Amino acid sequence: MEGLQLLLSGFAAALSLQNLLFAFAGCVLGTLIGVLPGLGPAAGTAILIPLTFHLDATGAIIMLAAIYYGAMYGGTITSVLINVPGEAASVVTCLDGYQMALQGRAGTALGIAAIGSFVGGIFAAVALAIVALPLARFALAFGPPEFFSLMFVGLCLVTGLAGQSLAAALLMTILGLLLSLVGIDPVRGAPRFTFGVPELYDGLGFVPVVMGLFGVAEILLIIETPFRRMGDIKIKGLWPSRDEWKRSSGAIGRGTVIGFLLGLIPGVGAVIPTFMAYIIEKRLSKHPERFGNGAIEGVASPETANNAYANGAMVPLLVLGVPSSPTIAILMGAFIINGLTPGPFLFQERPDLVWTVIASFFTGNVILLILNLPLVGVWAKLLKMPYQYLCAGTLLFCIMGAYSLKGTVFDVGVMLVFGVVGYFLRKLNMPLAPAVLALVLGPFMEKSLRTSLEMSAGDFSIFLTRPISATLMVFAALIIAVSAFQIAALKSIRTAESK
Amino acid sequence: MTTLRNRITLALGIALTALIVQVTGPSTAADFPARPVQLMVAYPAGGSTDVAARIVAAIAEKQLGQTIVVVNRGGAGGQVGWTDMSRARPDGYYMGFINLPALNTVILDPERKAAFKADAFVPLINQVLDPGIIWIKADSPYKSLKDLLEAAKRAPNKISAATTGILSDDHLAILMAEEAYPGAIFRIVHLEGGAAQLTAILGGHIDVAFDNVGSVYRRVRTGELRALAVMDTRRSSFLPDVPTTPELGFPTVISNSTRGIAVPKGTPAPIIKKLEQVFKKAMEDPEHVKKMEEAGLALKIMVGEEYAKYYRELHAKAAKYTDWARNRPHK
Repeated sequence: MEGLQLLLSGFAAALSLQNLLFAFAGCVLGTLIGVLPGLGPAAGTAILIPLTFHLDATGAIIMLAAIYYGAMYGGTITSVLINVPGEAASVVTCLDGYQMALQGRAGTALGIAAIGSFVGGIFAAVALAIVALPLARFALAFGPPEFFSLMFVGLCLVTGLAGQSLAAALLMTILGLLLSLVGIDPVRGAPRFTFGVPELYDGLGFVPVVMGLFGVAEILLIIETPFRRMGDIKIKGLWPSRDEWKRSSGAIGRGTVIGFLLGLIPGVGAVIPTFMAYIIEKRLSKHPERFGNGAIEGVASPETANNAYANGAMVPLLVLGVPSSPTIAILMGAFIINGLTPGPFLFQERPDLVWTVIASFFTGNVILLILNLPLVGVWAKLLKMPYQYLCAGTLLFCIMGAYSLKGTVFDVGVMLVFGVVGYFLRKLNMPLAPAVLALVLGPFMEKSLRTSLEMSAGDFSIFLTRPISATLMVFAALIIAVSAFQIAALKSIRTAESK
Repeated sequence: MTTLRNRITLALGIALTALIVQVTGPSTAADFPARPVQLMVAYPAGGSTDVAARIVAAIAEKQLGQTIVVVNRGGAGGQVGWTDMSRARPDGYYMGFINLPALNTVILDPERKAAFKADAFVPLINQVLDPGIIWIKADSPYKSLKDLLEAAKRAPNKISAATTGILSDDHLAILMAEEAYPGAIFRIVHLEGGAAQLTAILGGHIDVAFDNVGSVYRRVRTGELRALAVMDTRRSSFLPDVPTTPELGFPTVISNSTRGIAVPKGTPAPIIKKLEQVFKKAMEDPEHVKKMEEAGLALKIMVGEEYAKYYRELHAKAAKYTDWARNRPHK
């Protein structure tokens, strides 16, 4: 409960005009990123990092975090109105959200999504405030071997959950790990895969790579597809009826729990909680046939889950200093740029900052509720903008963002190259998430692997003789085994069906 | 692919044009500085080198009459920034912080394939000398430095000792301690910086840490950590109760990290002279002294030849230990 007390003092700072303004700016930008197709939260946050260079650390982090969860809200709008997810975590929302829009209930769909997101975001922030301190104390039990095993579990999860083919996911994970090796060896200092190019000594910039793989590649894909114009959908009746409330409240509750808990595990990503929440609702429902035909629970549960996830995913970042998704990795970069190292000691060294940031999750969610309920029509108008302008504008933003990170044209080149790479990978149906998470976790994993081996004088059994690490390793093995089995089972069902 | 290549070519072209326009401006010693001056820090913003650089830059720019822009070129333990500096035009508009002995070991370690040698930089003035410190968990069984070294002798390669990076000053300090107490061998674990050390030691994963006074003195004062020795010839003003290594009978175990300003080789002498004077005045300014004290960074001003001599001597000393680190049987 100590956490809640500290949280109150955090509120005092978060409610200052200046910090409210940062939260507001972040929410607006985040919603914008969510609404614009092609710009996911990762690329969006990355592009806007330079904006925060001139703010103080607290303001910068408040704003970037607001951009992150703001994008989670914004992605819903396009899913419902034009059946195009604004970001990956809103894919599931399309299923029932767009159906609702076709039935003239777009307003209700957006309304319940905003309310669910709000509830999920707020409850997850409360849970974060309660568990953060005890977990930060427990975090000292995590030495380098435990860190390695934890991140290994994360990679296994993202690989196992990535999709159709375990082999394809594994391939992408390995590609990501290989890309993370570029640069100077963190322990011995030898250059690797640098080809004598000094810009590569520091490794491939993670942000330009992500902006390329997601931002630029997405723009290239959009250019190919014919423009989907928004029909004349009237947004009215945001408030759900009594019956709709009754059906959604359970979904919102379960979505919150699922989202938050999955947020605690690195590597899950924002998409899986939404699918999980949706599937669970469908299984629990007495009328599963309504799902896919405009069931309000089918909008409420995933939207709640993705916002609860967004705040839940802050736990491993703040407590252990482990980024559990690309967007969180960019947020972590913002901490480091400001001279702060996320991890158990941050709570001791800068309690003011940590608790102000956590408190800002509450103010941010309130701001988003206001932005999304009465003002949703304004965002919807953005969708009427012709795609060619949107694409050109987004590309320009990406280039500016890549350049401004370090002020080098080299990074712009890296981004464009990875844009093309990402385009072809998407065309080949290769999952990008494992590659990106491997690229993010790669340097951390390498460091903790090598430190562990230094501690054990080269003996690999150190990962199995320490209880926490051993448990995690068993867990990792289970994940791979189960997902291999599941994918095989899925395939046999499909082939059976096609016969 | 052609459009992509065109785009890269175009972008490169724009960058090159900008560069040419910039370097063809007049730059004689008499009117130096005619435009803002860059001060490179080879570590990310927010680190202690960066903090000190920003403090001194804000004061020196008043005397210089031009803005001093602190540019962070972090990465690869400083190598990225120093590679940059070694390639910069030697006209006084590009200065940089050199961190010793980190710079020396980057040059000395053949695996690093550094693109510059020790004489690529002309040292102007030193700002900070942060002495090394040996510290343990508050409830650690080792009561003194001798206890620790004796334990490392009785059980060689069993007691783990953390550095803040391979061939950092802390790594060399461990080798000095082993040299001063024949038979003692630590299991050296390279961590990335002070925060990682803190987690590893307080979590009980590693036994002892070698670091610098500036990064841990606050926690030593509060009793969270216990310092066994400061590796300097005199006691640190931040930790007056902690004995020095010479006091404890180990006069050869002297280690520190120094940070000072240098320019690329070939910078005209009058410009060097001017910069030395400007920064000397700035560093002696009471405001500078006070802010550095608050930041927990010990001043050690060495100007011109004195600093250059220090740089050369340290390079020779670092060469010995770098060689030793590479050939140590227990890597």
